[in-house]
Amino acid sequence: MRWMIVKVSLVAALGLASFQSSAQQSAEPSAHNEVLIKNAVVMAVAHGNIQNGSVYVKDGKIAAVGKDVSAPSSATVIDAGGKYLTPGIIDSHSHIALDDDVNEATSPVTPQMMMMDAFDYQDKAIYRGLAGGVTTSLLLHGSANMIGGQAIVIKHKYGANRDAMLFPGAPRSIKFASGENPKRVYGSKDQLPFTRMGNFAVQRAALVEAQDYMREWDDYDAKVKRGDKDAKPPKHDLKLEALADVLRGKLLVQIHCYRADELLTEMAMAKEFGYKVRAFHHALEAYKVADDLAAQGVAIATFSDWWGFKQEAWDAIPWNAVISMRKGVRVAIKSDSEDFARRLNQEAAKTMRYGGATEEEALKMITINPAWIIGVDDRVGSIEVGKDADLVLWDGYPLSSFGVPNKVLIDGDIYFDRSLPGFGMPHYREGE
Amino acid sequence: MIQSSVVGHQSSEAVVDPWSLVVGQLLIVFAICLCSGSASAQQKTFVLKGGKLLTISHGTIENGVLAMSGGKITAIGPAGSMKIPKDAEVIDVTGMTVYPGLIDSESYLGLTEISAEGSTNDLIETSDEIMPHMHVYDAFHAESELIPVARLNGITNAIVAPQSQDTLPGQDAFIQLDGKSANDMLLVRDLAMPLNFTGEQRRNESWEKRKFPQTRMGLAAQLRQTFLDAQDYSDRWSDYEKKKSDAAAKPDDKKGAPSPPKRDLKLEALLPYLQGKKPIVLAAEEPSDLETAVGLARQFNLKFVLNHVSHSQPVLDYVASLKVPVIVGPIYESPKNYERYDAVYGLPGELYKRGVKIAFASYDAHAVRNLPYAAGYATAFGLPHDEALKAITLNPAEIWGVADQLGSLDVGKTANVVVADGDPLDVKTDVKRIFISGRQVPMTSRQTVLRDRYSGK
Repeated sequence: MRWMIVKVSLVAALGLASFQSSAQQSAEPSAHNEVLIKNAVVMAVAHGNIQNGSVYVKDGKIAAVGKDVSAPSSATVIDAGGKYLTPGIIDSHSHIALDDDVNEATSPVTPQMMMMDAFDYQDKAIYRGLAGGVTTSLLLHGSANMIGGQAIVIKHKYGANRDAMLFPGAPRSIKFASGENPKRVYGSKDQLPFTRMGNFAVQRAALVEAQDYMREWDDYDAKVKRGDKDAKPPKHDLKLEALADVLRGKLLVQIHCYRADELLTEMAMAKEFGYKVRAFHHALEAYKVADDLAAQGVAIATFSDWWGFKQEAWDAIPWNAVISMRKGVRVAIKSDSEDFARRLNQEAAKTMRYGGATEEEALKMITINPAWIIGVDDRVGSIEVGKDADLVLWDGYPLSSFGVPNKVLIDGDIYFDRSLPGFGMPHYREGE
Repeated sequence: MIQSSVVGHQSSEAVVDPWSLVVGQLLIVFAICLCSGSASAQQKTFVLKGGKLLTISHGTIENGVLAMSGGKITAIGPAGSMKIPKDAEVIDVTGMTVYPGLIDSESYLGLTEISAEGSTNDLIETSDEIMPHMHVYDAFHAESELIPVARLNGITNAIVAPQSQDTLPGQDAFIQLDGKSANDMLLVRDLAMPLNFTGEQRRNESWEKRKFPQTRMGLAAQLRQTFLDAQDYSDRWSDYEKKKSDAAAKPDDKKGAPSPPKRDLKLEALLPYLQGKKPIVLAAEEPSDLETAVGLARQFNLKFVLNHVSHSQPVLDYVASLKVPVIVGPIYESPKNYERYDAVYGLPGELYKRGVKIAFASYDAHAVRNLPYAAGYATAFGLPHDEALKAITLNPAEIWGVADQLGSLDVGKTANVVVADGDPLDVKTDVKRIFISGRQVPMTSRQTVLRDRYSGK
């Protein structure tokens, strides 16, 4: 295939030249490729399944989908041999590739933390997720703080350079948290917060401060606009700037929250301060207040069946996803774990057993729904013309115990191929 | 009431006794009498009719019939092959799959409720690395809410082990996931003893907190000394018993009865293992640890099964040459950075190919219900489906010495039977009915109660 030839020649050339160049970066695949995947069961997510379907990929985008798709002879042809083809899996809650720099647990309010600053693009967890079919992940701050840091969205292009792994144009997300974690982290140091009352008091105080800050800047901007030459800009404050962006609706608010009462409180807080909650993460008691979540249009990113690991996970039930979905909540199954990220398809399939989700509903929970939570559902999450060609070809039926990725394409390039020796990565070789 | 009768093993207390005495044994065979009080609690006769019976021991019966009575399987065969007793409750299971209760080869059921809440945990004593006198049965909480949750997915029996931070954390129990009380559920109280050498036990490694044993050398030396102490202890008692019987034979001897040695519970606990009467569960992950641990077991002539071997891919032929079963996994253990993504997923298949008898374990408490899915996932990486199923039924029954009672659908075995709407290994399969010792167990748990309350049922 074309990319292989390109890569081999580049590596050879560099090998002769010197030690100095990074072959990983040089082997960066070209986006200008053409691939025709034919004879697949296309699980498009958008419009049901297409038996004996084909997908034509051009320049990293899906250019055609259907039963009869024509492609120029220059296109690399992948005969799927009847295998299932799904959109790339999207993980809306991940902490991989941060080298344990997940929590700046020195203050309960740290919205100025940028996960980008900790992003370790060489973390093998990116590869292991890729081999499980994950193509996009939201890398979030941890839950030690009521208001944590700002996330990044990555594509699992393992072997590419750092910036090539960032999802271009993805919206900004910020992580909030509630419940046991902040109160344990700070309470154990005899600091505020030590209780859930403390938690929400901290959050409310920070938002009030942000309102004041925003007002000062709005006043200043108005003065400048009026031509007031004596207007003095207020002091810049990274922390409050980030929170002001929450109030201005410029950040998607992703809230770690378990208990039903706290889900309600967080929604009331959002209403009080005029921002929207994009999604509750974990949300293991969402099934108790699903009507309220649906009414507010708040999504959940939850576990399939993980439970009992702490008190606030004691009422977790594996039917949570489907009960919530049936009441109108947009539901994603996420990993929050390097392990679960490697088999989210299996986790999603559990919703078919626990509550009777249909195949497409289950698949949505790891594709288009998490894409919506991240704010990239116009770009990925289904197999539709114009979307990024992030695709997984499966050995076995993906929504089962037995389905595992055979090939994973991102932006039309094969980043993982199970049939290859070594790590199975065309764009990466150990030691390069 | 629970008896563990151990028969038929040569024992040796010699430090350098040749390993060849036991190396030829593929299986650890030790007969155990499973006397469950609940077995006879429900005398009702059930007949399951029309299902696909996965017998495990003798193939699949497509349209089968299975009868249970008095806690046992009393008949099994194709439809029409038997007379259905008049008093039987006949259950039509057409379209369903029927299989033996699943066996988890390492769990922490009954030792924990909420992981992060210390007061609910009785998982491990970490005051010392050598704690063989800890008995799981002393802590086993029969009323744990976790047990019905696990049971609802067809897991009917499990090893309960202490957690693994100690080299010798205590002794495992073998449980049944239903019964009136702990007495009912603890089928075998001290079934086996873990010996962990995975690196996780090396917890004094920081220079600030350093104390013995700080290194793997220290851990190994500590183990050797412990077993030597146990041998000496055993000798002292033998000596005493001999003197005592000599004294009894010569009642006129003025020396009188000898005084017994002081009892030492730690060393006493090790004796059945030193004597080869019970198996050690030898846990190691990487090749160097594995070989050190095996060397140690051989030095003291311990009978063992292997546990984990998660990163021992380069030495699987050596593993096979040991001719012992392997509790494999968890297959979801993350590969090392130098390993391919599927290095651990592929282990069960690789071991099976080399003729190793394998069993799966959940190594968990809350996630015991997911045991069959690990077996299922291993089939995507080279383990044949039938072997995956065996590795959670008949294989563990054989490894733990209970195959005369459990692990397959055969007449005379305990009626631990599961009825489900599909492949036991698939995540989509819903378990519909469970029989434990012939008793139909209610399909409820704390979780189903919450489900029903909030989904308007």
